[in-house]
Amino acid sequence: MPGHPDAFDLLKSIIDLSTSSLSMETKLDEMLRTISSSFQSDRCLLLRPDKIIKNGFLFHLSQKRKPIWVDEESPLQREEVLLEEEDLLCPTFVCIPLYDETSFQGILYIGFLRNRKFAPQEVDLLLLIAKEMGEAIQIGHLHRKVEQTISELTALHEMGKAVTSTLKFDELLQLIVETGLKILKAKGGVLRVEDRRSEELRVKCSIGGYDQHPLDEKIAKRVFFTRTPFSLHHSNEEDSFISILCAPLLSKGRSFGTLTFYDKEADPPKFDERDFQLLLTMANQMSFAIENAMKHYEILTMAQENEKRVKQLSTLWELNKVLLTTVNFERIIHMTLTAITIGDGLGFNRAMLFLVNEKDRLLEGTMAVGPDNAEEAGRIWDFLSQRRGSPSELITQIQPSSEGNGVLNSIVKGIQIPLEQEECILSRTVLEGRYFNRRFPQAEEGWLQNRCERGCHLGSEVGCYVGEHLGRDPKAYSFATVPLWGKGKVIGVILVDNLYNQNPITDEDIHFLSMFSNQAGLAIENAILYRNLEEVHQKLKEAQTLLVHQEKMAALGELSSNIAHEIKNPLVSIGGFARRLDRSIPAEASEKQYTQTIMKEVGRLEGILDDILTYTHDGSMTFKELDLREILEETLSMVSGGFNNGGIQLIKKFAGEVPKVRGDYHQLKHAFFNLISNAFEAMNGKGTLSIRIHPILKDGSSFIRVEVEDTGKGIDPENLHHIFNPFYTTKDTRLGLGLPIIHKIVTSHQGQIEVDNRPGEGVTFIITLPASEERRGE
Amino acid sequence: MKRILVVDDEESIRLLYKEELEEEGFAVEVATDGGEALRKLLLFKPDLITLDIKMPGMNGIETLKRIREMERQLPIIMCSAYGEYKQDFTTWASDAYVVKCADLTELKSTIRRLLRLL
Repeated sequence: MPGHPDAFDLLKSIIDLSTSSLSMETKLDEMLRTISSSFQSDRCLLLRPDKIIKNGFLFHLSQKRKPIWVDEESPLQREEVLLEEEDLLCPTFVCIPLYDETSFQGILYIGFLRNRKFAPQEVDLLLLIAKEMGEAIQIGHLHRKVEQTISELTALHEMGKAVTSTLKFDELLQLIVETGLKILKAKGGVLRVEDRRSEELRVKCSIGGYDQHPLDEKIAKRVFFTRTPFSLHHSNEEDSFISILCAPLLSKGRSFGTLTFYDKEADPPKFDERDFQLLLTMANQMSFAIENAMKHYEILTMAQENEKRVKQLSTLWELNKVLLTTVNFERIIHMTLTAITIGDGLGFNRAMLFLVNEKDRLLEGTMAVGPDNAEEAGRIWDFLSQRRGSPSELITQIQPSSEGNGVLNSIVKGIQIPLEQEECILSRTVLEGRYFNRRFPQAEEGWLQNRCERGCHLGSEVGCYVGEHLGRDPKAYSFATVPLWGKGKVIGVILVDNLYNQNPITDEDIHFLSMFSNQAGLAIENAILYRNLEEVHQKLKEAQTLLVHQEKMAALGELSSNIAHEIKNPLVSIGGFARRLDRSIPAEASEKQYTQTIMKEVGRLEGILDDILTYTHDGSMTFKELDLREILEETLSMVSGGFNNGGIQLIKKFAGEVPKVRGDYHQLKHAFFNLISNAFEAMNGKGTLSIRIHPILKDGSSFIRVEVEDTGKGIDPENLHHIFNPFYTTKDTRLGLGLPIIHKIVTSHQGQIEVDNRPGEGVTFIITLPASEERRGE
Repeated sequence: MKRILVVDDEESIRLLYKEELEEEGFAVEVATDGGEALRKLLLFKPDLITLDIKMPGMNGIETLKRIREMERQLPIIMCSAYGEYKQDFTTWASDAYVVKCADLTELKSTIRRLLRLL
């Protein structure tokens, strides 16, 4: 067979095509067409590796890597050919496997229906062409790879540009997911970041709604904890296919989040290995950006918090400055409540203060500051907004009188809540020493839902009062209570609410209020102490006055005692000599009357002196266990002379069992002697003296009751309330000091003396003395 | 005849006691203070002494102590304007305590009791 007629032209066309800028597919198509027309072949094909049936004739061919020439002279060994391949193979054909350095690229097949022989020149030519085609394929692949890499690089570059364009955390995350979607051509993406405090993975950005997918969170957690990327391609029976790529976000070897993408925009929507690698590269790069943004975000938050703190502290400082200006109790609490309510202070609508009354275990409403209605609230806020100056200046300018007489204040002042009422939120604030922050939705009737059923004042008074204003249709009512601490114990409660602007009360507000109330608590405690100090001072002053008075009395007593001493001796001699004189005067002489008068008057003076000395002289009492019956018997024997005349009858009624008393023998004897002498005198020599002693029980304690009853003329009602006054003498009684002395002795024995006066009929003196402890203990 | 020493700083009291007691049949000697009382104790050798408590210089209680150092058995009656010394244990060394009174009945009966003249 002669050489190919236009071998040169054919080769030229093939090389031209190979170096042209056509796409690889077009290049190959054109090449096949050129070959076909030049050889006038019936079939001219390039069999791609994926079209070659495994273990078939062509497969073996590709394995052998050797071209095969089939014609009359060298027929095909038909047993290797598969059934499917039968149609393809013409009677005469050429198969040339194409290879580059690494991989099998396909088989060039040229078939002829007629028999034909291949000249050696043609064989060389076809091998050359096949080589050229192989190179074209290789170049085409390379080209595609380069293009892909460039586009990926561009995408990564874009992402890099995007992430450096913003430091706003949420915006950045959104950008990352969006760019990732573009690069991977995914249908959805989810980005999760670990919350540092709760250590939980949180969805920060999700596109396509895949975070709802049942697998999503499981995969994210697994990737997060294993710090290993993960890919899953799954199809289930319903013919739905899911493809997932997930990579951890790593920083210094620990993971802080995950980046997941779902379903490629292709059919089937399956990611390939390249996409996976791309995601890893992306995740790797983005980790730094996300971490930086997170740090930036944290610092920003911290800075904001610090700024808020500083502002709060400076407000606190301002308010404290105010509290230091006075120790006046009313002023302090008014300024405290004002500070809580003014906008530059803590900015609550109303503030009420309740203080603990330790003695009665009560919480007492002390003061309230706040407008009585919304109109007034608006007026005050307008007024305040026009004022200038620091909060401390403002607060000191507002005088209690301007709003202190409001309805709220007077209502709060009337509130008393027993601390035992544990359902009441105010009592609980004291008992539990913590704050309460409550927000009530508006009840149907426009009244507060009153949780306290036992008539708690918060519900029944403040609450109801608040209820009146709920007609203005507020959405909700918020109030909070904080304990007021003073030196380690709760001294009161501050109740705040936002009735008028219905602002919710945040934990931040409470925190600030607590800080302030701690300061205020100390100031109030100090004011209370100061007030107590003033009270005690006042009491001391009174006590001092009393003491001065008592000292004067004591001095007076001593003086009278001294005078009495000085008078006694001369009196004894006067009386003594008068008696001597009296004895020497005959009974019938008129001088007898004079001496008798002297003797009588001296006797009277001696009695008065004795009384004065007993009253002013405390004496040292010696307390012993005494039987009152014995003392009375003895006293009666001293005055027995009175009975001998027969004019006075004695009735004794002494109980058989009488507990002993603890007392001073001489004093008690003196007291009963005085009492009985008085009775004698009152009856003027004629009548009945009844003396009764019996034990009694009073308030569970044992007492002894002594009654001395006479049948005299009784005490003039006019004098009745003077009878125990020392130095008070009625016209018609001999002694002014008798009853005061009895009174003094009885009270110094923790006893009691009562008078049952029946003018014209007589008097009963009733003395009650406590039985001695020893007796009672038996 | 029993001998009684009356010790008192008041002249009128001394006179009253002396006259009243002499009338009762006693030999009476007087002393104006504690020092004189101690001297007269040796010279007069009384059978009984009445001793005023409130005296300038050596008072009755001091004098009582000094007399008791010399005469342990001699009856002594403490006399005072008031009963405030009754509870004072320093007077317990005496044999009786009599509150001064214009009516000398109690004093006289106490003297007779101590001298066993009843």
